[in-house]
Amino acid sequence: MAPVVSLRPLGLADADAFMAWASDDRVMRFLKRPLCATREQAVAQIRDTVLGHPWFRAVCVAGRPVGQVSVWPYADEGGRRANLGYALARDHWGRGIAAAAIRMVVGRVFDDLPGLERLEAVTDVDNVRSQRVLEKAGFQTEGVLRRYIAGRGGGEARDAVIYSFLSSDRA
Amino acid sequence: MELQQGGAPAAEPDDEVTLREFTLADAEAFMSWASDPRVARFQRRDAYEHVDQARHYISDHVLPHPWYRAICLADGVPVGSISVKPAPAEGGGRLFRASVGYRVARAHWGRGVATRAVRAAAEAVFAAWPWLLRLEAVADVENPASQRVLEKAGFVREGVLRKYIVLKGRPRDMVMFSLVDTDRHQQKQPMESSRP
Repeated sequence: MAPVVSLRPLGLADADAFMAWASDDRVMRFLKRPLCATREQAVAQIRDTVLGHPWFRAVCVAGRPVGQVSVWPYADEGGRRANLGYALARDHWGRGIAAAAIRMVVGRVFDDLPGLERLEAVTDVDNVRSQRVLEKAGFQTEGVLRRYIAGRGGGEARDAVIYSFLSSDRA
Repeated sequence: MELQQGGAPAAEPDDEVTLREFTLADAEAFMSWASDPRVARFQRRDAYEHVDQARHYISDHVLPHPWYRAICLADGVPVGSISVKPAPAEGGGRLFRASVGYRVARAHWGRGVATRAVRAAAEAVFAAWPWLLRLEAVADVENPASQRVLEKAGFVREGVLRKYIVLKGRPRDMVMFSLVDTDRHQQKQPMESSRP
């Protein structure tokens, strides 16, 4: 039976659940967020990054947080363009949860963020799993942008695949 | 600042392009492209109607800009402009990307002026900014002339970004191009072998 996926705001009370993915390098290696090694760091990250965020949700399975999904409007674009980020605890990969969560995001975020026209997602060229998730969630592949994203830990800039979902893509 | 690539016709001496910084005295020359709706069509700004607008733009935007140059022909009079803007580093990370944009007066279209200016600007910023790894440019899907300029200047077409930029109040699909540091290492090889 397919897992029941839901989205809800993520709060300080979720710090322990948050650690399950935010401390895992296999999950976080393609994101730009620093790893949370301790519960204190998790609390600080939730407080500093999550609580005031324009659109940040916990991804829940059977009501329990197993990941996160967030939409970050770009600074110069007056809110019409934003970037999608997500992470899912390793134990829950391969069950369609991330794609289901992202489909729920595109179903809601254009109403929640008025003026949003273009939601972008950028994945490392080596992150084939994430590319499949975005395709399953209905994003359109636009191309490979060379030397587009920073390497982890000060490494060389990496090539990335860029995807988009437009407000006009909604059925 | 000519980069000769195999097959490209040699430039006439009076077609040679140089880049220099703007001064307020260039405001009149600036109007030759800034007041032309055919040039402004693919820009965010509307065409200017008065030279004071050019003067204000030069003092408020051009002079403080990280990298903004006048495109000049042999007589030193500007016939266009080219600018390169570093992309903000995300979350306190390193700078490594920048984007280039250019505009040329209508009278000088179709003669390779923009292509030579883009090549010269790329050469200059990769030399001036050792941190630069990716120089990108976008061209409207309905602007094939600009797409050809970027291709001839050695940029690689990467894809169409849908509703990427708003021009004149309408979201436009844009073709994304890039020139990266490793492209230039390859381009340099024929240059070095042709030096005496």
